Amino acid sequence: MTLITQQVLTTLGWIVLALAISPMVWLIFQPYFKSLSPAERRANGLLHDLLTPEQCRQLVWRGYLEVPSPSTAQRVYRVPRTRGYVQVIENGRAVMRLCVQPVERLPDADVVVLHKLMIEANEEHYLQRANKYLCTD
Amino acid sequence: MGMLRVMSRRGDDRVTWDEQKLQEGDPEATAAIREAERIFAQERAKGATAFRLDPGKPAQRIEDFDQTAEQIVLVPRVVGG
Repeated sequence: MTLITQQVLTTLGWIVLALAISPMVWLIFQPYFKSLSPAERRANGLLHDLLTPEQCRQLVWRGYLEVPSPSTAQRVYRVPRTRGYVQVIENGRAVMRLCVQPVERLPDADVVVLHKLMIEANEEHYLQRANKYLCTD
Repeated sequence: MGMLRVMSRRGDDRVTWDEQKLQEGDPEATAAIREAERIFAQERAKGATAFRLDPGKPAQRIEDFDQTAEQIVLVPRVVGG
């Protein structure tokens, strides 16, 4: 095998390797890239204005924000940091998952604020709008 | 200072006004409050929900624009996913 053929094969090998790992690299760094966008920065500003330091820590470290139900003492809504179902926890057990989303695409931090405001000030309407999936386990 | 925040894909758009200057008849403050009222009405017509936020108090849903509010947040219409 000539030296040129070896070099071409080595280069091709590196290209294949780079193509194979690039989706994983993207998945790892995507949240950081997103948080650099002006929209996410503004939305994070609003989120931090509305949350207590304890709630901010919960969101960062646990990946969700717990919003107590204004109407039912033992009920808590677990709002994820990124898009996904809102879990309804009653007496420490997940009883339901809710799917509610804005008609307009919003930054993730704004979606968390939206859930928090609607639950705290408009829970009945929020529950009416949500698609509900009962947890059977 | 009062502030209207409207959630959108760009983050939140803001309009601020100075309640004290408004009472003094300042034209800039009057223009700002008119703009905030216009945006409020336009977003409400599209189905947005408005929340009044005051420090130390729980969020309160409002139907009409309130210039005495420290902060009003407009969130777009939501649907079941």
